[in-house]
Amino acid sequence: MAWKLDNPLHTLTSEDQNQSATELWEAESLGGITEDNNRLPQPVLSLLVLTIITAFLITFPLWGQRPHAAMYEEYIALMDSPEVQNLSDEKAMQYIVDKVKSSGSKWGPLQERHPLEMDDLRMIKAQVIELQKKGARLDEYTIVGNKVVMANFEGNFIEDKGNMRRERVQPWWDKGYTIDIFFILVFCVALVIVVKRLPPFSFQPDHSKGHH
Amino acid sequence: MFKYLFAKNEDIPAGSAAVYFGYSSIMWFIVGTGLGSFNAAKLAFPDFVYGIELLSFGHMRQVHVLAVILGWISMAFAMAMMYITPALGNTKLWSERMGVWNCFLWNVGLALGLFLLWMGVTSGREYSDLPWFIDLVVIFGVLFPLALNVWMTIKTRRTQGIYTTNWFFGAATFMVMIVFLVGNSPEFFSLTGLTEAYLTWWFAHNVLGLWITPVAAAISYYIVPKVTGNPLYSHRIGHLHFWSVVVFYSTPAAHHLMSAPLPEWLKSFASVEGVLILVPAIAFVSNLLLTMTGKWKMFVENVEIKFTISGVLMAIPLNMQGGFQQTRAINWYIHGTGWIVAHAHLALLGFSTFLEAAAVYYGLQTLLRRKLYSLALANFHFWMLLIGFTTYWTSMTIAGLIQGAGKIYEVPYIDVVIAEHPYMIARWVGGTMVFLGNCVWLYNMWMTARAGTVIPAGRLPHELAYER
Repeated sequence: MAWKLDNPLHTLTSEDQNQSATELWEAESLGGITEDNNRLPQPVLSLLVLTIITAFLITFPLWGQRPHAAMYEEYIALMDSPEVQNLSDEKAMQYIVDKVKSSGSKWGPLQERHPLEMDDLRMIKAQVIELQKKGARLDEYTIVGNKVVMANFEGNFIEDKGNMRRERVQPWWDKGYTIDIFFILVFCVALVIVVKRLPPFSFQPDHSKGHH
Repeated sequence: MFKYLFAKNEDIPAGSAAVYFGYSSIMWFIVGTGLGSFNAAKLAFPDFVYGIELLSFGHMRQVHVLAVILGWISMAFAMAMMYITPALGNTKLWSERMGVWNCFLWNVGLALGLFLLWMGVTSGREYSDLPWFIDLVVIFGVLFPLALNVWMTIKTRRTQGIYTTNWFFGAATFMVMIVFLVGNSPEFFSLTGLTEAYLTWWFAHNVLGLWITPVAAAISYYIVPKVTGNPLYSHRIGHLHFWSVVVFYSTPAAHHLMSAPLPEWLKSFASVEGVLILVPAIAFVSNLLLTMTGKWKMFVENVEIKFTISGVLMAIPLNMQGGFQQTRAINWYIHGTGWIVAHAHLALLGFSTFLEAAAVYYGLQTLLRRKLYSLALANFHFWMLLIGFTTYWTSMTIAGLIQGAGKIYEVPYIDVVIAEHPYMIARWVGGTMVFLGNCVWLYNMWMTARAGTVIPAGRLPHELAYER
């Protein structure tokens, strides 16, 4: 099986092999079925490229972000203030949201995306305060219902109190995407090899030669 | 069938196994859709057959699902493999007797497995509901003999090349055994928790991705060129389709569990791969539609092409849904709703069923050398399937969107149930149309065997469709 590497996007097969492949292609009947050798039409190829780009753009974790404990730290700090204590739940929540917003929280967009009520805050308050006491990084803890749990992100290794450990914050990119890129590259290379071992697409079989 | 179980291989007429599989598949289709109609009636009218435990939804649902997957779809696949694989290699089936035994044991094993499911003996895992000992019977008693027959027929072919359809048949029969072995490992090794959840959906995803989708597509690679007489548009697009199924369809199982505590990187990986399922879909659809060039009138006139191209066209919404509904933002909305049920039926009752029905129509006429008893009844069957399925799919998609809104906005559950009620009735009507259409189909194929006009040597059944 000879390989020809001088013009890999044209063919990877020697001329004599291509010649015998084309003869077989035209002569052989596969249960009365014949095949042409057309290339992938350009619009379809463009659609495939668009699909690959879309696959990455639409699946970023950012689009399905979960709320983490740090987002509500400022809310919880205000819960025991006299202003909040004197208001009904609904007005108290509105007060907290307005207050935090006016003071310019770094989590502003996320707080807007994940609104909650006083009852929600009450359920997580004790757990968040407990984590604060431990000196934990609150953005590494996800709110799941009424529980505050360590997030299951596997980010970079970071130094923490003298030890190396994995960071658990939501990334915009993770190793899942790196593996995806590896898969796509290997797939494209393997497919080019498979397809370019065929006779070039300039050859179109004449089915009248071997078939009736 | 029984007289051939102990006959010599050479004494069994070629195509016998395929014919038995063909009729078995139609009968299981009637059973499966009949159960589906019954279950849908229970959802539409909660007082329907009330108070009998064995007829409760919990006992009946999985019997419907597996009767359709392992009875109708997989037996239609076996039928197609038993006549298409040898035809493409210009040879005979490697062992007709093994094929007949395969069909016999498949029917007996499936009946036993479904009876156990009905009685409540179940693994409790969706799609892999069968208990572990039945899984072993499926792997070694059903799938392995089928695979062996396919592989050996390809090996003993009298052609040098192997046509696209047989790549898929050969690979899918191997992959489905791996799917059953690995996907059922939670039962074999008592795996629990997240591992069990992941492997359950790895199984469910790959039964679709590495068995049903590629084999259904492979059938259409045979039917369209064979019936139209056109060459397959592109051998090289066939490569793109085949290899992208293997690479991109086998990997995104985690996208079924986007809200579970799986590692987030695994979800990111699976979600991208999930969108890339569009790669094989685009390759498949473009290759088949371009093969139809100059023969589009057959889409109206010819039953097999009507079924096949309808199935091919359904691959477009199927894969657009499949590619995007699993992304985090959309999955958050539609997960756990009727949308997913609609999508699953688009895959199994829409896309794949239409392709398999074409294979069974074409195969039975070719093997029996009998012209279809009634073209009118075949057309009636087509429209009952198409309208019934479309009614089902549309109603369940709308119901799913209502449920999603109810979930997100925390609408009381009973209010969602009331809002869904008309769509549950529409679902039942659609499913029942499919069931009734299939009963007509069985009658038509039964009469084809008994009273169909004999096809003269050298002619193909579709050439005679309009001749009297």
